[in-house]
Amino acid sequence: MSVARLILLLRIGSFLCFAGWTWVHFYWQAPYGKLLWNGSVFSLVEKLGMGWDEFVGSGENDGLIQQLSRWIGWPYIACAILSLTVRKSSRWQMLALLGGCGLLVILSFAKFLAANQQLPMFVEHGGQMLMPAILVTALAKGVRHRATVILTIVAIITTFAGHGAYALGIYWPTPAHFYGMTRVILGIDQNSAKIFLLIVGILDFVICVGIFLPWTRRACLLYAAIWGFLTALARPVAGMDMDLNFFGADRYLHESILRTPHFIIPLFLFFLWKKSPDSDQRNLPPETRTI
Amino acid sequence: MKFQKLLAFVFVALIATGTASLDAQQKNKGKGKKGRAVLAIPEVADKDRICFALYTVHDKTLKLTAQLYPIPEGQPREVRLEIQKDGEWTEIAKIDVIERGWTAPFRVENWDDSKATKYRVAHGTESFYEGIVRRNPVDKKVIIVAGYTGNSIHPAHGGDISRQDLIDNVKRVDADVLFFSGDQVYDHHRHYAGWLKFGRDFGEIIKDRPTVSLPDDHDAGQPNLWGESGKVSTLPGASDGGYIQPGDYVQEVERAQTSHLPDPVDPGKIGQGIGVYFTNLNWGGIDFAVLEDRKFKTGPAGRVPKQGPRPDHIRNPEYDPDSVDIEGAILLGERQLKFIDSWAQDWSDAEMKVALSATIFCGGAHIHGSADGRLHADMDSNGWPQAGRNRALASLRKGFAFHYAGDQHLATIFHHGIDEHRDAIWSFCVPSIANLYLRWWEPLEPGANREDGAPDYTGDHLDGFANKVTNYAAANPEKNPAGNILNTRSAGWGIVRLDKATREITMECWPRNVDITTSSAKQFPGWPRTISQFDNYNPPSWGKLGELTFNIQDPVVQLIDAQTEEILYTVRAHGKSFTPGAPKGKAFTVKAGKNAPDKVVAESAKVGSDPISVELK
Repeated sequence: MSVARLILLLRIGSFLCFAGWTWVHFYWQAPYGKLLWNGSVFSLVEKLGMGWDEFVGSGENDGLIQQLSRWIGWPYIACAILSLTVRKSSRWQMLALLGGCGLLVILSFAKFLAANQQLPMFVEHGGQMLMPAILVTALAKGVRHRATVILTIVAIITTFAGHGAYALGIYWPTPAHFYGMTRVILGIDQNSAKIFLLIVGILDFVICVGIFLPWTRRACLLYAAIWGFLTALARPVAGMDMDLNFFGADRYLHESILRTPHFIIPLFLFFLWKKSPDSDQRNLPPETRTI
Repeated sequence: MKFQKLLAFVFVALIATGTASLDAQQKNKGKGKKGRAVLAIPEVADKDRICFALYTVHDKTLKLTAQLYPIPEGQPREVRLEIQKDGEWTEIAKIDVIERGWTAPFRVENWDDSKATKYRVAHGTESFYEGIVRRNPVDKKVIIVAGYTGNSIHPAHGGDISRQDLIDNVKRVDADVLFFSGDQVYDHHRHYAGWLKFGRDFGEIIKDRPTVSLPDDHDAGQPNLWGESGKVSTLPGASDGGYIQPGDYVQEVERAQTSHLPDPVDPGKIGQGIGVYFTNLNWGGIDFAVLEDRKFKTGPAGRVPKQGPRPDHIRNPEYDPDSVDIEGAILLGERQLKFIDSWAQDWSDAEMKVALSATIFCGGAHIHGSADGRLHADMDSNGWPQAGRNRALASLRKGFAFHYAGDQHLATIFHHGIDEHRDAIWSFCVPSIANLYLRWWEPLEPGANREDGAPDYTGDHLDGFANKVTNYAAANPEKNPAGNILNTRSAGWGIVRLDKATREITMECWPRNVDITTSSAKQFPGWPRTISQFDNYNPPSWGKLGELTFNIQDPVVQLIDAQTEEILYTVRAHGKSFTPGAPKGKAFTVKAGKNAPDKVVAESAKVGSDPISVELK
């Protein structure tokens, strides 16, 4: 695949990730509750001379929290557009998109807090958090540059390790809706769903190791791309219904869209490593060789 | 290289920001102690294998469920129930423990409830757990029901503070019945461990008196619950309806918390093999309806037009309430409504009726203790769907039932209305044992028809679903709770005193950590409040029929609309005379009898009609 197409793939991933989250910010509720609603934040707000009603809203008017949650949606829109427009020659666009990474980190951190500080909740957002950074790095340094590849590998490992940790349910309990989606989509009982999630959980970790081994890495990446696509699709498949308003699309589609990095990133690396990297790199300067 | 440095700097800065924020969160959670409880199943000695036991007695049947710690391999699975007769322990039942959840549910028919009986649950040769099955207090003037909800154990908001004050106070007032309305366990994955902890905390009072515990959303392992007859929920938050946890998990929860309740009146299972437990418990002349207000309820996601940031939350005060009262949306469901209709007419051995359920039939709070701030309406409450809410209230008022519930994390007293304000039953929502999530009743407009000197938030209001409600009290927490993490968060519990001699119902709402028998102990503002049993169906627009005078005490009286033949209500009169209330301009057939309304005593009776003297056998 050409460099331009690989970049396009990354642009699509970044755009859809930000677009999905934009939908959440403006249409539903962004998950900042636990991050903003705590004593230390309120103490800070009080020091700035702001009262309770101004902070949380009086009912007649939105408070700072509601306003902030909505304002944050605008940078998400900007980042979605920047994902399509960003160029190597525009440092400011690239910096702004990296700022979008920061927004995704904050959002993922808020979800981590809301999930009772379960580490996989933060880690599994690695792909989403790093998606804009991979795009920027690919533009700035090249798609085959080691920085790009390292970021891509980190994104895949975090995403699948987080998923795998939840699917295995050994230290952190498997989210119950994992079972629900599995049972509804596959039409299997709870015990079968447990076995299924155990197997795919193990495979998630196999991927994390397998992408380091030259003879398994492309197979692992292909599996990761397919599995990432299927898990992203699982929400609407399990939840949408002809009897629901808009068939439930407004509730479920963005859940797939914002998870685009989960399969775009492995797909990117799969295509990047399509040919023998050794043969490709012979003609490249050492600092731009992939690893 | 510059770009790489910049990239590295950005990531280091982000990680530092995250770490700092996490640190701030941790500090915020209880000054150095962890915010969440460490929940574990302790290793116990063989002699302590039985954790606690719950029971009820109804219609001469004892149902007792023993809760055990895990039994190691190689030890017997058999659990025995023994009673003391003439100083000797006699085995009356034995059963193999159900290993999923380690419960031993006993059922003993022909139970003599006219005397107190010492019992013990036995496992092996070392483990014994003793308690008392009380005598049925049919001759006791006042039946005391202690009510609780929201048993968070997390230190961040005082959940780790000892429950000893609750234990001591129950002993001081010698409560006849304990009612745990829900959220006894907040751990969404380990109900068993949480239930054992609950048993260690409350077993001392539970073992000696009938207990009703209703598993609510958190007990079932989810933040909110619209059960939709056992559907599988796939949406985080579960507003698509159904259960997040698998059916066998829910079955385990219900077996632990409800298998000691009287047999379900309509035991057909719902989806995923989940059972039902709605039933009635007649104890001490009080007929309790045990309701399941979550199990059949429709989930709102995708069914109601979006009105806010969550499918179950309405933030837009300008929305049309009728738009969410969608056709086909279920609250209690037909099976349960049929039961209530039957229960409301049956006054056998009953002088007063009380409905027990997880939550109240209205949107009972305006501000929710998260970033959401003010909510116009919350579909997790029983205010939605409105048609289902009105149908439930219409059935309950036909038996003059008083409603006792929890769930809201905010203690309130409401008098509900259907067609006009105050034309249906009263409800008392008890405060949380430890308040995980704050809510406030704070309407923007002062209520109409407030009592003299009453706060603005009392009086006649429309809730967020345009349901008619009249508030009489709300134990709002402090706006920014600090310091005492129980009392500033309005944690507490409730007492309902059902006075059969006067037919009065007194609601008490107590904060934590006070001795309620001391003169200095103060209840939350607005409590205590006493109402008449007959206030549960006494619309302001009604008039009175002519007085009925009987030759027997406390007959059962029933009014039937002469035109539609629909029962208006059935109630046990107080004393030898009764003046029925009724809508003006309609004619009624009046029936009466000693224990059932089996004799027509008046036909075409109207408001203002003449007094009647009635002879009953």
